[in-house]
Amino acid sequence: MATEGGTRRLAAVDEAARALGLFAGQKAADALALVPNLATFDHDPAADRAALEALCDWCVRFSPAVAIDGRDGLFLDITGTDHLWGGEAAMLVDLAARLARWGVPARAAIADTAGAAWALARHGDDLSIAPPGQQRAAIQDLPVAALRLEDAAEAQLPRLGLHRVGQLLALPRAQLAKRFGLATTRRLDQALGLAAEALTFRRPASPWFDRLAFLEPISAPEDLARAAGDALALICRRLEAEGRGAKRFEVTFHRLDGRAYPARAGLARIGRDAARLTRLIVPKLDTIDPGFGIEVVTVRAAAVEPMAPAQDRLDADADASLDATLAPLVDRLVNRLGETRVWRADPHASHVPERSVARVAPLDPPSALAGWDPDRPRPVRLFKRPEAITALAKVPDDPPIQFTWRGRSHRVRRAEGPERIGQEWWRAGVGQTDTGPGKIRDYYRVEDDAGGRFWIYRQGLFDGDDAPKWWIHGLFG
Amino acid sequence: MAGSREARLAALRGRIAAIEAGTRTPTPVLPFGDPAIDGCFPGGGLPLGGWHEVTGAGLEDETGAAPAAFVSLLLRSLFSTGVKTGAIVWVARRDDLFAPGLAGLGFPAGRLIQVRARDEAETLSVLEDALSTQGVAAAVGEAEAPDLTAGRRLQLACERRGGFGVVLHRRPYGGRAGQGGAVSGSASFSRWRIAPSPTPPPPDDIGLGPPRWRVELERCRGGRPGAWILESSDAAHPFRLVSPLADHDMAPAEPGLRRVG
Repeated sequence: MATEGGTRRLAAVDEAARALGLFAGQKAADALALVPNLATFDHDPAADRAALEALCDWCVRFSPAVAIDGRDGLFLDITGTDHLWGGEAAMLVDLAARLARWGVPARAAIADTAGAAWALARHGDDLSIAPPGQQRAAIQDLPVAALRLEDAAEAQLPRLGLHRVGQLLALPRAQLAKRFGLATTRRLDQALGLAAEALTFRRPASPWFDRLAFLEPISAPEDLARAAGDALALICRRLEAEGRGAKRFEVTFHRLDGRAYPARAGLARIGRDAARLTRLIVPKLDTIDPGFGIEVVTVRAAAVEPMAPAQDRLDADADASLDATLAPLVDRLVNRLGETRVWRADPHASHVPERSVARVAPLDPPSALAGWDPDRPRPVRLFKRPEAITALAKVPDDPPIQFTWRGRSHRVRRAEGPERIGQEWWRAGVGQTDTGPGKIRDYYRVEDDAGGRFWIYRQGLFDGDDAPKWWIHGLFG
Repeated sequence: MAGSREARLAALRGRIAAIEAGTRTPTPVLPFGDPAIDGCFPGGGLPLGGWHEVTGAGLEDETGAAPAAFVSLLLRSLFSTGVKTGAIVWVARRDDLFAPGLAGLGFPAGRLIQVRARDEAETLSVLEDALSTQGVAAAVGEAEAPDLTAGRRLQLACERRGGFGVVLHRRPYGGRAGQGGAVSGSASFSRWRIAPSPTPPPPDDIGLGPPRWRVELERCRGGRPGAWILESSDAAHPFRLVSPLADHDMAPAEPGLRRVG
């Protein structure tokens, strides 16, 4: 039930309610007058959407290309996958039966075009299949509402006596377009396959998809590991046959009750070694709750690139290239710890110390920038946040003679500096950053009487009322 | 009589060394380039197929700056002398290691792979994994105190590929002082304690001269301990011996650790 302009209306009705003569859009008062013991629930579009997305993910078992349509529909592009079920009819029956078993009321149809399938599923017979090239015959007896027209056109057509799609098809196109808008003819063409229609698939369609179905559901951890290995071997064999490799692999375990558990593995460089991938995936299988069993395993490869076949050397240990030996280690670490926890520091063109390092993937080619300036000494340890210190300086512009950090006082024996580093004013819009003297840092390298070397700075200048503050930013060894 | 006794002792020593070495072949070593230091090691330098402990003294126990600088110079000589090629893996729980600073010491920062682990156990297992990988020349792990089992595992990992391992003892923020140092994995080949040392004024009396460290070799398998003041240098060997610690001029290098107020 949804509230619309102060009126409570039915947003959706189930099968039993429809039999009693209720319909979506009816006023709640009218509905309750017809059926006094009507059970109503508040309309929750977000939950509906989430449920539809879950269903969309579940449908991946039928085809990797699934698109959400509006608020209550799904498009499955089953090109090339129907033979896995032994034909379109068997696939459609399987899909509908499974949905019925979950208590999902659904209507389904198969046609050459998304438009025709939409029309058949909503206004034709349930489970109807339009034979290839026969969309025109299949949809011409359907009401014009089956064409996904704009509201105005849809309301206007029946008033002119045009109730069936076939009647529209018989009219001259030019007049049709002039009277009801170009959208009408486009929808007609899309249904007939004369115009292309782009579907937004929930995940990009990829030919690098394989599935493994089991006669009996599996649930033992070692079975899951073996199934993952088999599925990966399946796709790796195909990759190898076409001279390709991939960087991202995803093995999804579909449980009997429709939940899907994906396990992902990434490689630092493209590869197709099923055994290695299996080793990366297996530690992640702990998070999979098999419940009553896993019935289907699908595997998907992404970031597929051409990969030259390589001959394993007999003396592989002797001088394998550096990257080839490091790659497995990097893969293990990245898959175990996460991508953000393994990095190489590359120079970044910035004078601000905390921005002068860019984190890149360990095996990425080095950046074209020259390294860090050797004439500007930098500390070995750089604090993420500078820590405040209290410092005593003889003359305002001098380095301090003494400072206290973490409750310990250090007497400065010698100092070097300052190195003045200012704010990068170009990083934000004009007037948005304070680039005034308050943001200027004067860095000093100082050595205390024990020999410890510190990187401290004074923020701001001595003018006006605000005394500049001292901070410690890092430690030299 | 005395001669035969010495000969017998020498023979026994050889047999013990053979048992200790097991099936290992003698590993190449990393010399410091100064006979006063190299003489402390049985092979004339730090062996590569082993791991070493480096701790900081006083405040450095927590910040780990001087040990990090010492380790990076040590690793620099690993590459500059052409002993090894490959990557360096540095595992830590905190990510305050600053690559430009290491590069400033001459360390090949382009070979450095930094890993941030979540806990102590993960640090050690990543370190072990890295050391047993071909293509990794050296691996450094910042850990609190590996126990004997972890130490033994590290040793085996080092021997597999001749990796050079360093465990940099570092107390976590807010951790109790003096706790980590008590436990020591005796499986390590050597243990070092690094503290900064005051530097003399540079010749022109402007700025700071090259940094100096008070380096103590506390323990070394088959060798003897020592303590020196070392200064960084730009030569192939990254350290220049300034003076042995016995020198009275250098001895009172401790007052920075006094407590104030």
